[in-house]
Amino acid sequence: MSHDRDGEDTKLLAAGDHARLLAKYEPVIIGRCIAELRGHADADDVAQDVKLRLWSELARGKAYRVPFRVVVHKVIGWTLGDHFAGRPTHGPLPEGWDPADPDDAYGELLDDDAVAAALDGLPDGKTRQVMELHYRARLEIDQIAERLGMTRNAVDQALHRGHAKLRETLTGG
Amino acid sequence: MTLFEEYVGRYAAGERPDLRAYLDRAGDDRDELARLASGFLQWADAPEPDEDAVAIMQAWIDGEAPLVALRVRRGIRREQVVAWVMERFGLAADAREKVALRYHELETGQLDARRADPALLESLAELLRARVADVIGWRPRPIAAEAAYFRADTELAQFMPAPSEAAAVEPAQPDEVDRLFLGQSGR
Repeated sequence: MSHDRDGEDTKLLAAGDHARLLAKYEPVIIGRCIAELRGHADADDVAQDVKLRLWSELARGKAYRVPFRVVVHKVIGWTLGDHFAGRPTHGPLPEGWDPADPDDAYGELLDDDAVAAALDGLPDGKTRQVMELHYRARLEIDQIAERLGMTRNAVDQALHRGHAKLRETLTGG
Repeated sequence: MTLFEEYVGRYAAGERPDLRAYLDRAGDDRDELARLASGFLQWADAPEPDEDAVAIMQAWIDGEAPLVALRVRRGIRREQVVAWVMERFGLAADAREKVALRYHELETGQLDARRADPALLESLAELLRARVADVIGWRPRPIAAEAAYFRADTELAQFMPAPSEAAAVEPAQPDEVDRLFLGQSGR
């Protein structure tokens, strides 16, 4: 990634040319969503929500301490993470969200090597089974509930516990 | 040349290769290709957008239908699209009004293009000089999202149609036009 390109993004941001900036990253957004969702039809919906979140950030005139491309990939990561966790992806990002936060382990959830290592580190049991099915087999919450004979709420809770353990592992906390 | 190398080569040449088509071609290597492509897209330079892409994104930002913006940029009237579909699929003359309605619904995002007959999508993409992925993927920005993102606009939000109100009406007795636009069952 060249620094010249980051400089061009900074100029587009300063000029308020949001259409050109988002158009530039649109193929990246849809490409990553398709890749991470392995071509599933949901990728188009998630990509649309990534664009909505980015547009919202731009419309609010937020300033960033990192290049815009980093913001793009962080928002993609967050939105995919929400999708995989069964959370709604069509709302705004949490208040105080900072793409420059080095402790944003959640945003790195889709780093396959890191996730694989972190999943391997989870203790055996339902939580691990649920996390494996969600992140490795890419099953939806309802599908996991059906396969494991659990309620949807129980799967949600297991994912919550799993995310907490993943954060501990990924951040060394 | 591997599929990944082909994908990267086309991307680097400024094309917008359809990753979904590559994954479909990858067979047992689908997961591996997806991982490689995702990694590549995280460090590769984003391509410079052409003026079509910028205009379509501007329409999306403005809350307009991107496919309408693309059609207008191509200088194509909606009636021409209807005539094109009628001819391509050999539809009877009395279906014209319904084709116009269904195309309007598709173009304005009231109808999910993913349900449509792939042959219809390919035909529309050919006429609009676009990719099938664009016809499927370019939906209008949901106006209701304004209310979600900018909650201060509560007065505006009360006038926003609920998603179900904006959606196309499902036919009781699907016909050939419904099958083309709404998929196999027409429902």
